Amino acid sequence: MSFKDRRRFVERMAESLGLIPRLGGGDADLPSIAGPQGLVAFPPEEQWDDWLENAAGRWPERSRRRRMLVPTTCFNCESACGLLAYVDRDTLEVARFEGNPRHPASRGRTCAKGPATINQVKDPDRILYPLKRKGPRGSGEWERVSWDAALADIGGRIGKALREERRNEVVYHVGRPGHEGYMDRVLKSWGTDGHNSHTNVCSGAARFGYALWQKYDRPSPDYSKARFILLISAHLESGHYFNPHAQRIMEGLNSGAEMAVMDPRLSNTASMATYWLPTLPGSEAAVLLAMAHVLLAEGLYDRHFVENWVNWRDYVRFRRGQQAAGATGDAETHAGSRGAGHAARATHTATARAGRDAPAHAAPRTASIVSGRAAPASDTGEARPAGADSAAEPRFEDFIALLLSDYAAYTPEFAAAEAGVDAAMITQVARRIGAAGSHFAAHTWRAAGSGNLGGWAVARAMHFLSVLTGSVGTEGGTSPAGWNKFVPELPHNPPAQRLWNELHFPKEWPLCHYEMSFLLPHFLREGRGTIDTYFTRVFNPVWTYPDGFSWIEMLSDEAKIGCHIALTPTWNETAFLADYVLPMGHGPERHDLNSYETHDGVWIAFRQPVRREALRRLGKPVEFTWQANPGEVWEEDEFWIALSWAIDPDGSLGIRKHFESTDAARAGQRLTVDEYYAHIFDRVPGLPEAAREVLLSPLDYMKRFGAFAVKTTALLQHAAALPPAALASARTESDGRVVAADGATLGIIVDGVARKGFPTPSGRQELFSATMTEWGWPEYAVPTYIRSHVHPANLDRARGEFCLLPTFRLPNLIHSRSGNSKWLTEISHRNPIWMHVSDAAHLGVVTDDLLRVQTEIGHFVDRVWVTEAVRPGVVCCSHHIGRWRREQDPKGNRWAVNTVAFEKEGSRWRMRTLSGPQPGETSDPDTRRIWWKDGGVHQNITHAVHPDPVSGMHCWHQKVTVSKAGADDRYGDVVVDMEKSQAVYREWLSWTRPGKGPPGLRRPLWFNRPLRPADSAYRTERA
Amino acid sequence: MIDNRKCIGCHACTVACKSEHDVPIGVNRTWVKQVETGAFPDVRRSFHVMRCNHCADAPCTEICPTSALYTRDDGIVDFDNRRCIGCKGCMQACPYDALYIDPDNHTAAKCNFCSHRVDRGLQPACVVACPEQAIVAGDVMDPGSFISQLLATQPVQVRRPEKGTAPSLYYIDGDRAALEPLATDNQPRSVAVESKPDRHGCATSTADVRPLAGLGVAGFLGPEGAGAGKGIPRKVYDAPKNGTLWGWEVSAYLSTKAVAAGALLVPLLALLVGGVAVSRHALMLAGFASLLMQGATGALLVADLDRPDRFLYVLLRGNPRSWLVRGAWILSALGAVSSAWLASVCLEWGRAQTVLAWATLALCIPTAIYTAFLFAQAKGRDLWQSPLAPLHMLVHAAVAGGAISVLLEAARGIAGAEGHLPLARGLLLSGLLADLALAWAEVALPHSTAAASRAAELMHTGLLAKRFWVLFVAAAAIACACVGPLGLPVIAALLALLSLVARNDVWVRAPQMVPMS
Repeated sequence: MSFKDRRRFVERMAESLGLIPRLGGGDADLPSIAGPQGLVAFPPEEQWDDWLENAAGRWPERSRRRRMLVPTTCFNCESACGLLAYVDRDTLEVARFEGNPRHPASRGRTCAKGPATINQVKDPDRILYPLKRKGPRGSGEWERVSWDAALADIGGRIGKALREERRNEVVYHVGRPGHEGYMDRVLKSWGTDGHNSHTNVCSGAARFGYALWQKYDRPSPDYSKARFILLISAHLESGHYFNPHAQRIMEGLNSGAEMAVMDPRLSNTASMATYWLPTLPGSEAAVLLAMAHVLLAEGLYDRHFVENWVNWRDYVRFRRGQQAAGATGDAETHAGSRGAGHAARATHTATARAGRDAPAHAAPRTASIVSGRAAPASDTGEARPAGADSAAEPRFEDFIALLLSDYAAYTPEFAAAEAGVDAAMITQVARRIGAAGSHFAAHTWRAAGSGNLGGWAVARAMHFLSVLTGSVGTEGGTSPAGWNKFVPELPHNPPAQRLWNELHFPKEWPLCHYEMSFLLPHFLREGRGTIDTYFTRVFNPVWTYPDGFSWIEMLSDEAKIGCHIALTPTWNETAFLADYVLPMGHGPERHDLNSYETHDGVWIAFRQPVRREALRRLGKPVEFTWQANPGEVWEEDEFWIALSWAIDPDGSLGIRKHFESTDAARAGQRLTVDEYYAHIFDRVPGLPEAAREVLLSPLDYMKRFGAFAVKTTALLQHAAALPPAALASARTESDGRVVAADGATLGIIVDGVARKGFPTPSGRQELFSATMTEWGWPEYAVPTYIRSHVHPANLDRARGEFCLLPTFRLPNLIHSRSGNSKWLTEISHRNPIWMHVSDAAHLGVVTDDLLRVQTEIGHFVDRVWVTEAVRPGVVCCSHHIGRWRREQDPKGNRWAVNTVAFEKEGSRWRMRTLSGPQPGETSDPDTRRIWWKDGGVHQNITHAVHPDPVSGMHCWHQKVTVSKAGADDRYGDVVVDMEKSQAVYREWLSWTRPGKGPPGLRRPLWFNRPLRPADSAYRTERA
Repeated sequence: MIDNRKCIGCHACTVACKSEHDVPIGVNRTWVKQVETGAFPDVRRSFHVMRCNHCADAPCTEICPTSALYTRDDGIVDFDNRRCIGCKGCMQACPYDALYIDPDNHTAAKCNFCSHRVDRGLQPACVVACPEQAIVAGDVMDPGSFISQLLATQPVQVRRPEKGTAPSLYYIDGDRAALEPLATDNQPRSVAVESKPDRHGCATSTADVRPLAGLGVAGFLGPEGAGAGKGIPRKVYDAPKNGTLWGWEVSAYLSTKAVAAGALLVPLLALLVGGVAVSRHALMLAGFASLLMQGATGALLVADLDRPDRFLYVLLRGNPRSWLVRGAWILSALGAVSSAWLASVCLEWGRAQTVLAWATLALCIPTAIYTAFLFAQAKGRDLWQSPLAPLHMLVHAAVAGGAISVLLEAARGIAGAEGHLPLARGLLLSGLLADLALAWAEVALPHSTAAASRAAELMHTGLLAKRFWVLFVAAAAIACACVGPLGLPVIAALLALLSLVARNDVWVRAPQMVPMS
């Protein structure tokens, strides 16, 4: 529609006389690109290089802007959704970010965090130059240093440590990863077992539960084609892959699928569900096993799948063996007597701490399903008692009878009592799951798994339902994540390191799925080791982790951490305690390769520095990314290359060669990021062909379009026939496994064909885990329910004890990283305690009253939000909020940060909020307009560490005592007693069972591990 | 169209809009309101995207004095901030709280359906971002478009259809509890957001927080009054509100204008209609007093503008449909004619005096009452829609005129000498009684809408009750007594003016405290 002049005669006259300014139409109208279907979402790709648009701010005057559209990916949550940067061709400023329509997962759409990336890029308080501390560590005094000086210093340190064979003292600790394989390559080249990650405060439990079944440690639900969706997660508002998953969940629902959600809090996800099961925290596995019970009892399982793809014969043999041993009174293998042991101890100790005299047998005997009882024959009618003939080849009917018997205790009524939900709803949901069959998509992530002692059993029990319905890897079902994720071929692949880092994988947790990262301060305090050079990358444990004061004490101690280097684009609580703060680029200022299991298919996406790419397209290429970035902001890819050269300048350590050019013409020179990614993209199946069609190299194709769909579907890979070549020297074992000459399981015979199967020891889905029995946890040989440390039996409601659910996320924030985004913080900046109306009435509090929340090691003071949307007896407090800086610390994240003061008295730390976020003058006029003064409360720092004795996951839920705040309590107060923190650590440590596995083995060889070392490192020297 | 079957309340639209238009902190063109209904475990949260409704009959374009807001041929209600003078009339006229004043350029802004993108052939930024494609943009006139098919097959709701604005924003699965601003409690802070001070520096907690359903059910729910536990839908998330937009400048302008009109009305009425003698000095005094008050009226009007530098636009870029513009014409005419009349009196121009006196008298009436039509154009505020408002304004002119005449004569020290004084006292008394009667009607008689009832209640039982009962009712009643049986006309006049100021203040503020979204 062209500009319409609405001036009347008087106005024209007045303008002519100069009484008022003349208003014109500006530039000529730009043509519309609307098609026959109406308005379009994005400019056509052929115009991405030079796109003319109307300036929004000058409208309706026509004022043209020339933009270049450059793809990259978002670096807020893990999804790596596609973004298109609108770069101004004239000024090279990034104007804004929209979605990238080429991205197979996000499909051009974003959540709130995507477009807010521009806030992070333009953050007036971001760190632009390398900084080195001046005074004592943590004193808040910094000086600018050159990159060369920083690299020389740090490289020299690391080189010295490597030469002195203190390799494991060089550690890289990552919060948000986001590049496929890059750091593994770097650390392997250094020969250090120095990878530490955040995963055991995040998803470690769910991963462990899934991995026990199928080695793959993540699920990839095909939501859009599902007929029933079961979530123990809040994937419509948060979670990994929020935007891609939320799109597909709603597609499924809008196509007629039903959805059940378990969550004690009414999440936005629960609110969209057909069935909301507000299960008591920790009871989820009981409900899931009850659903399994219904599927079994009502014959709603997929017999063909279970019979062919599950290691049920191993289970029957194990149970027969148990029964035989039970008959001879061998208590050591009588799992039933030990079954409750773990939970019993937790229950007992928890109640003992509460100062009450609870009998040890208050433990959940019903939880122990491997009870040693013979299965009643009547369960299946025709089946003989399973234990009747232990020598006979197990029959499927025997298995079902055994299963029915073993899971007989898991009735919907039992689960209803545990979970506080309606038994009829549990049965109903189970039947709907059964009816959905292979189109049953299920997902648990963080949530219950990360909250509870034994939380890993939730994922395991959930996957049981996927197995029973035969929905593993099917359309509308749940695939193993690995099928939907691309693994790149990297240049110069260094050999795996031959070391084992006991600070990351200690002997007490041989099965822990990821590093015991949140115990690092306790390990160092116990003298288990020291760290020479410690990199933290997009990682803020002081704030995010439980027991943050332990981190403060560890990081403050130069004897424990020789040099702490924070790689971060913006200030955070951990960076305050660094020796170097090295500014790294935000998402659109760096390179990364992304591939995630967002849906049925496989894709890759290219995170790239958008101004660098814009300059290249304008014929002004730069050599290093920092030359296109603001200030001296580097990117990690180039940093690690430069640092590796600084560690090994003459190549004598054998490191430098891994960071030399892949181009023969540049042999011996430094590897460039273009060379690195060209090497990868040249080897992506289908990409060279697709690129050739548009006359581009694979690298240029990715620079131009940002993403590529490697496969559009990847279902049923377990059923793929093994290639004849692989079978040449293979043999078939009696259990159906196809085994290579070197003993590796290649696959299994199903329906007479050698097929790929699953990468477990049995080649099948492992209902029965021999690993669990071998490593000292026979009571968990099959999917089980473990009572949580916050089970109602451990809480005294009458004394004001609640379960605190501290982990729930908001759809527009991301951990501690969104604090520098004004638009996101404006939407959410406080985290009151959610409390049910009835509990609030009992306590005599109304919304906004102050509460004191007493944890095991201290307390925090927060306001209450009285609501119907949470289970009575449960209180919730959102994650992300309650950021702080001390008065001496630099300003950063000013939209979200409270100014606080610390005091330490004996073993007690106290933090008091001096002020909330405040307006101030910066280059951004919006900083003047900060209208909120409430920056929320830091709760995680008052949590004790709760390492699950099996999975190693931190169990986030807290038993707390909630009371009205006292006269001296002020909003935001935090108090923690370090002696108590250590006592809780020691208590949980005592529940582990070290030394139970096969002698000389640190960890099951078939278990994967981040930065997997050489197999020899899995063995101790004794072996 | 918003398809609430799909909306998951993620705020992507909010941020995409902020990004597209660089919307400052503190204001929003689009936001997500969240409402919870039911009791545990049968509780649900619904998400409703709130924004400009692009009404076919948009009240904002009508009231806009400079046509800064206008409806395009394709139905988009767009704006041109180069024309805006910051009068905030649009914000009073819009029943959907869709507008705000941009803190950078102090002009009104709102969702304009990304018309700069639409003209280029692109969907609005929020439509592109929405992960669920829950925001559907399209041409409802094209029967083949997706939006037309949805409209044809799905039941839809609109916000506040009773406003007669013909909204073009439809909701599939719209929840009345979210679409109707008075269906929930209206706590100023939300679960993740604290309350924001309004432009007058007051926390928005001074606004009315009671859910409509809660009146009668649970009585007054204080600021703690989340409807939780009481079966009332609860607003649990909302964007910060504008708060009171027209403050003391506007209510004071009503009072100075009443005085300006009344000061002339009383002596001229007595002189021309009543045929009584009024001295030249008394007329001159009245004329000067009126001009002074006219000046004050103009000054207050300009002072209330967020772009006072553009005040001339009202006349030079005027929208003839806006009563703000018509009012400016009337005030200008009164200013010119009454000045000429005053000159004619001072200079004793004979016949011209009479003609100008009649013209001045004739202009006093529209001067007094035009504001009623302006406030009636403020469609968002139900209390101002009262058909009695012109009478109300006229009554105020009578009270003000009576009072100022009494005071001017008292100041001259020869009270009782002038022939128009009986009329002044009579108008004062009858005006006060009429004003009290009108106020009684507002309080006691049923209102046609819930928002009007709420505003009336706020005046006499809510946060404004003290001002209402003490400064207005009591002052007016005592003034009646003083002018009547007690024979203290000066005190009566002073109290009458006080009651007038208080009455206008309460009447201007109360409807603005009733939430519109």
